[in-house]
Amino acid sequence: MSKFTPYADESASIEIGSLTVENRLDRVSIFGSIDLTKDQEGLALVLALKELIWEVASELEGMESAGVLPQEVEVEQTVTIANPFK
Amino acid sequence: MTRSSISALFILLLTASLAFAGRTACPQFYVDGVAPDFVNRKLTPKTRQLCNDGYGVEHSGLTRTPLWAAERLTRDGLQRAKGLPRVNSFRPDPRLPVSERAELRDFARSGYDRGHQASLADQHTEASRDQTFFLSNMIPQDSDNNRNLWEGIETAIRNETKRRGELYVLTGPLFQGNQIQSLKGRVMIPTGLFKAVYDPARREAGAYVVANAPGMQYQVVSIAQLEGITGIRLFPSLSAKIRNNAMRLPEPRTYQQRRGGNQ
Repeated sequence: MSKFTPYADESASIEIGSLTVENRLDRVSIFGSIDLTKDQEGLALVLALKELIWEVASELEGMESAGVLPQEVEVEQTVTIANPFK
Repeated sequence: MTRSSISALFILLLTASLAFAGRTACPQFYVDGVAPDFVNRKLTPKTRQLCNDGYGVEHSGLTRTPLWAAERLTRDGLQRAKGLPRVNSFRPDPRLPVSERAELRDFARSGYDRGHQASLADQHTEASRDQTFFLSNMIPQDSDNNRNLWEGIETAIRNETKRRGELYVLTGPLFQGNQIQSLKGRVMIPTGLFKAVYDPARREAGAYVVANAPGMQYQVVSIAQLEGITGIRLFPSLSAKIRNNAMRLPEPRTYQQRRGGNQ
């Protein structure tokens, strides 16, 4: 998962089993569902998931230690425009 | 003018309008090779057609979104789509002028998902899957909608394709009302989405229409009804009978519902 650096870009998207993981500057989105089966495949998936979660956690913990982790991310307001098709 | 020359003229005009509507560099994604046509002429400025390996797109430089994505799904194609690994990159479409396209920064910190119009899981080659990540295939989509109701509709259509064998699919945004919300005044946020399908074997068509909002509410409408909402003639070659009757479409279910779990 060398290409997936949490919060570094708006581009990277990976699939872990049938989970979708999308990188954003202000969040890492994980959605879908997954079976961690008690077999080789389940082990491979859980290790990938563990690595991802570990990377996310260490990034946020690092920011927290540095005192730069906000209480809550700010979502940008949308801008109202006239419908050009009306 | 005689009756027969009037009808000859009518046929000529009809052929001419189909010829205009049908101009596409990727006819393989459209019913009878005929692409949709604009009824509402305000939709036409800054539109560009983009052809990918697995789908075609009509892109608007006004909304900086697609107006529709066109696919032809087959049972065989979907069976080949299984089990491909996925490491992908959302990215602006380099084929579009910078002045007309969405950039990754437009979506940043917006809280909106980048919602695929041509669905990733419909595609069965590495190249065509990769090409679904162009921002020319994306709309700002409510995250709950994208991950639950819409995912359910995409899955329902894939299941219908496996059951029926072949479906033509048009997917796109709706922009209703006098005012529209946008990301940074640049990328228009659709008020809703549609997914229209045509079954060439049973000669029937219909469409899902949903609000770009949380929840599981949806409508099934006829192609004619949807054309009234979009201002786009979606399947120009189909008969009035097919356009006016909405086919039955399955109820979309979330992955939790499909697995029999609690919502």
